[in-house]
Parts: sequence; structure tokens; C-alpha cells
Amino acid sequence: MSQTIESFKLLLENAFSEPLTYLEASQLLTIKVQENQLFATLKTLKETLKFDALIDHAGVDWPNENKIELIYILFSTHHNQQIMVSADIDRNQPTPPSVSSLWAIAEWQEREVFDLLGVTYKNHPDLRRLFLEDNWVGSPLRKDYKDDFILERPW
Amino acid sequence: MVTLNDRISCHTPNQDGTTTQEYFINMGPQHPSTHGVLRLILKMDGETVNDIIPVLGYIHRGIEKKAEAVGYRQQVHLTDRLDYLCALMNNWAVSAAIEKALNLEVNDRIQTVRTIIAELQRIQSHQLWWGVFGMDLGAFTPFLYGFRDREKITEIFEKTMGARLTMNYFQPGGMMYDIHPDFVKDIKEFIKYFRPILKEYEDLFSGNIIVQERLKNVGIIDAQTALAYGATGPVLRASGMPLDLRKMQPYGAYSKVNFTVPVGTVGDSWDRYQVRIQEMYQSLLIIEQLIDNIPDGPHMTMKYAAKIKPPAGRYYTQMETARGIFGTFFVSDGNDRPYRMHFRTPNFNNLWSILKMAPGGRVADLVAILSSIDLVVPDMDR
Amino acid sequence: MGLINDNPENPFKEAIPGSPAFITSIDKVVNWARSNSLWPLTFGTSCCAIEVMMAAGAAHHDLARFGAEVARPSPRQADLLVIAGTIVKRMEPLLKTLYDQMAEPKYVIATGACAISGGPFIYDSYTTIRGAHEVIPVDVYVPGCPPRPEAFFYGLLTLQKMIIEGQTIAKPFERRKPVLSVLPPRIKLEQIRDELVKNLTARSVTDLNQNPKELGL
Repeated sequence: MSQTIESFKLLLENAFSEPLTYLEASQLLTIKVQENQLFATLKTLKETLKFDALIDHAGVDWPNENKIELIYILFSTHHNQQIMVSADIDRNQPTPPSVSSLWAIAEWQEREVFDLLGVTYKNHPDLRRLFLEDNWVGSPLRKDYKDDFILERPW
Repeated sequence: MVTLNDRISCHTPNQDGTTTQEYFINMGPQHPSTHGVLRLILKMDGETVNDIIPVLGYIHRGIEKKAEAVGYRQQVHLTDRLDYLCALMNNWAVSAAIEKALNLEVNDRIQTVRTIIAELQRIQSHQLWWGVFGMDLGAFTPFLYGFRDREKITEIFEKTMGARLTMNYFQPGGMMYDIHPDFVKDIKEFIKYFRPILKEYEDLFSGNIIVQERLKNVGIIDAQTALAYGATGPVLRASGMPLDLRKMQPYGAYSKVNFTVPVGTVGDSWDRYQVRIQEMYQSLLIIEQLIDNIPDGPHMTMKYAAKIKPPAGRYYTQMETARGIFGTFFVSDGNDRPYRMHFRTPNFNNLWSILKMAPGGRVADLVAILSSIDLVVPDMDR
Repeated sequence: MGLINDNPENPFKEAIPGSPAFITSIDKVVNWARSNSLWPLTFGTSCCAIEVMMAAGAAHHDLARFGAEVARPSPRQADLLVIAGTIVKRMEPLLKTLYDQMAEPKYVIATGACAISGGPFIYDSYTTIRGAHEVIPVDVYVPGCPPRPEAFFYGLLTLQKMIIEGQTIAKPFERRKPVLSVLPPRIKLEQIRDELVKNLTARSVTDLNQNPKELGL
């Protein structure tokens, strides 16, 4: 690591006008953002702080809290730093903004999340199922997904 | 939603006023040069590829769903089936993720042996790539040479691990068995054998005028575009960006060894070829520096227990496999099974850079480009 | 389209004039020729393809010894379909098409745990087909995850034996029951198990006879 976490946090906080919320239960440095702040935060991270690679994007389903948590893992080749951005969105109507205008790879990572978790991104250029057939019903990675086909392990 | 018909433009005016019609051609899923069951829909104008629409899912087994149903120790066995050519590096990545979550430090012996084995596997993976690359370009000899030498590493692995392809050798906390008594001797013999052979590879294939003509200035991509399109590993390094986690965020025993990261200049298929060949030399160097002083110690630091329960939270660990960054993201809720397991696989992210590489080229170039990206389809679909 | 999925009517239903002895000897020659010139289709979906199609076909193991090295990319030119890897729901119709496109007589070898039963993905997977036999008929199963090239050769030899003993000219569409090519006759499963237990106890921290309560589980 080229910088310590503390000096990097300072750099982060200078870039944002509002104070940041950090998620404690995480191994990487994680910023927690609201859904309406999501795009602006990621844009600042990309353009001001030079996080030029979207390494990974995934979703986590939390049915008890009625939310889907979106995870963005960013990497900066300038700072050699990694950061995770976490945003909670409504589980029944998940319509977060697409970030494919910032990082091109987001187009397909978001298609994967749409396919497996049923998150419909706004302003996505080509939102189709990626792995499953177009006539598939349901989102398999949701915790309440039921299917005639799945065999439960008998023990 | 965009349908296929929306993507076609029926009349492209030519210079002499005539018009041609674009058409779709289907490549795969059963196609010898897609290395598995990747399907590409090509939008063609004559012999020129204008656009590519990759269609995935022909080997989507739902590993992430499956991972939620099995315990932490069993995750290692699932990662073998992702990118089976880097099975051990995937094992390492998921084991390290669980170790970090448990705050478990593994000893120097485990780190050194893991590093040696990972580098051996990098050579093995590149050998297979080299053979198949030759076959895709129409030369059968590289295939036979590559597999002849790959078999030597497979035998070293088999002696220690008891398996040839899906090893499940690295476990959370260490290794399943200790290394075989012949391990050091075999590897030294292999290095002695393979260094001149690698030179022969270059004499046989790299110097060939047909190979160079088919690879140079084919499928050019610049570093920023490649990074934005998610490429990592040799694909990105061939474009000139030295992003290698072994150097940038050293893990294992990589901080103790001297090696350079081969970087290309143009970002064409030829650079991707050269980067991989040079990586094999570097891997040999790394192994040579480590093989003579493997520290003593136990091969397993964790007590045998069937159930691992990491504290609740989100964990992400990444490593550099032969094809790029392999990341393991998991959410634990304190139980013996992960709440959510997600694998950041290099091949899924590497694939999309062909959308920038191939258009404008010919179909035969597309085969060379596909092969130079070195895709493993089950890793893509998961 | 002209695809016939069921076995078409046997054109040799009527007894062929001539002595049965004559037919039998022709059978022998034809079956011998067929068994030694199997042309496999290059069809690999996942890990097994490396071991079964590539490592077996390359110089070290050399599939050519058994006359099956002419790998064909087109199903029209192949008569052996080696299912090397997992078959998922999306691949199912394509596998069926590939099989239908092959010309009779055609044979199917299912290699690896996934093609036999779904293997590691039999439970808790929403796409994996539990065995290739749910899609197309299979002649020989080769167990392993993935099987070694030697195991695949054993499966191939089993198939050759089946061809020599089985199909006749008079019944070209008759299929025999599938066979699991397991172990050569002199090796017993118990032997392998004993060796495994010996290895595990000698070289690992794993204690097979331990009491889970002592470990605090």
C-alpha cells in the first residue's frame, strides 16, 4: 500500500462536502451511502479520486430488513487503494441508477445482478438477462427463491 | 430492451454507391475455438466483423447459490470448478479470504509452498494456453509440445496432492497434506528441463512469420479502455498498465522475491502473447528463489474442525491468477455457512474487452483475439 | 424439419436371404472396423474437457492408440459424442440437437460426475441437469471428477467391447443398456478405500476415528 488507511481517509473526506459514513462490519474500507447519493458518490470517487477500475459489483439480499444491499468494489491504480461502497435499496422496487456511464464493465456486472437478484437499473443501455433464459421466472439469488427444479440436500 | 433486429443496419452505402446488407452469424456454443460453450453473435458486413454480442449462460451452474448451502471448508471445492486451469490459485484466494476473516496468520512454510505451487500452476496454465493458441492459429505442434510439458507439472502436483486437475489442496489454515518428499527435487529437475524448452517454444512459434503476421496489430486495445472494460491480468498488462497484485499488494511470499512484471506496449494480440511467454520466465525465477529455502513448520495451523464460523461482516480478498484478479467477496452472519458468496472471476470481466478489440477485423482475426484473451468459460458463467 | 427422435423403423426387418453364418461373419468385420475407428465430436463444456479431450488426445497419453484421435468439430462427421462436463438447462436443447445431427451408428460416453448425475451440483443448483441420460441415451459412463485420461481410455475400451459384442447389421438401431466403466477386474474398491484411509491418517492432521465431542463441535 502506498498510503496508510488514515491518510487515505483524509483524502477521501476532503473530496466530499458531506461527512462520510463508514461501515464497521467490513474488512475493506467501506463507505455507506443512500440510494439517492449513490451515483454522485461513485462519480466523485471516479473523477476526483481517480478510482479508475470497478473491480466488482454484487448484490446481497436481506429479506428480513426488506432491502437489497449493492456492493461496489473500486480500485485505484493511482493510489493503489481499494474501497468498497455499499448502498441499501428497496427490495420490492429496486431501481438504483446504472453506473455504466462511468465504468463500461458495469453494464455487464449490472446485467448479472439484474439476472440473479432482479435489480432493475435506471438508464442502463441494455438490461437483459445474462445467464438465464429470457423467459425465466424469478431471481435465483434471492433468499425466498423457490423452484420445482432445485433438489434440497436430504441431510 | 434492444432486440437483435434493432442492432442491424440494412444498408451501409459503399463508396461506389452500391449498398450491402449486414447479417448475423452465430459462433458457438459448440465451436472448437471458443474453448467451451461461449456463444458469440457476430454482426458481419461481408468478411468484416462490425459488432459482437456475447451470449453467456450455457454452463451457468449457479455456484453462488450452491455456495450459500455448503460450509466454509467446502467453498474450496467449488472454486476448483470455476477456473479449472488455475484451480490452486482459486483455492488459495478463497482460503486466504476465510483466514483473513478469522484473523488467522499462517506460517512461512505454508506461504512459501503456496507461492511455489501457484507459480507452477501459472506456468502450467500458460503452457496449455500456448498449445491451444497454436492450435487455434492452425498449428498442431504447439498443442503436442505444450501438453507434453504440462504433463510434467501435473505429475509433480499429483505426487503431492493426489489429483491432476481439481486439487482442493489449499485449505483454510494451510494445506491438506504436507508436500511430498520428492517435491523439491522434482521441481528443480523441471526447471532445468523447462528453461531450454521455453526457448524452443519461442524458436518454434514466436519467430514464425505467419504467426507474427496474424498477431501483430490485431485486436489493439489501449490501457484505459481495457481497464474500463474490466480487463485485468495479462490482457491489461499487454496494453501497458503494470497492474499486478503480486507487486502492488504483495501476498504470500511475493514480497521476498525479485521479479519483474512483463508489460506490453501496443496492446495487440502479439503483446498478449509475449507477456505470457515472459511471465513463464518470471515464474521460473520466482520458484528458483524460493525452492531452496522452504522453512520448516507444520503444514496446517488450524485445528481440524468441520465448522468454521467467521464473525459477521463483509469480506473481500483478491489475488492474481494466471488470467487476472480473482476476488472472493462474502458476507457472514456468524453461521457456519456464508450468507452470500460472490466470486469476482477474471474471465467474466476479461471477456468484454473483445467488444473493443474485434470490430473492424476479420473473422479469422477474431479467433486469434479470442485465443489471445485466454478464456475459460465455466469461470465466466459460474 | 426432418429430425426423427425415436428409433426409426428397422429397414432390415425382413430376413436377409442367405445363411445366418454369412451375416454373422459380416457383423464381426463391420463391428471390429467400427469399434476401432471412432471419431469423437469435440464437445467439452467444463473441466472434464481438459482431461478427457485434450490431455488424453495429446502426446503423453495418446488417444491415437485406440483409433479415436480424429476429433471432428461437426456432429455430421462424428460418431462418438463424449459429454465432458456439466450440462445445464440452457445447454439441454443444444445437446439434443447435436446428438440428433450425428449419423447412425452413434455412441455416447458420459464422463465425469456432472454428466453422470450432476455431481457436485446435484443439490441446491437451479440449472444443472442431473445426468446426461435425462437428455440423450448414454452408452458408457466414466466416473471421476474429472476422470484421469486412463479412466477415459478404459471407458473407450468398454465401449469398443460393447460395439464388438453388441450391434449387428440386422439391428442397427438397437442400443444396449448403459454400462458404468469402473475399475479393471483385479482392483477392488476396498483396496482403494484402504489406501486412501492409510494416506489420510499418515500424512494429515485429519483423524478419521476422532470423537467430534472432544473437538468441541
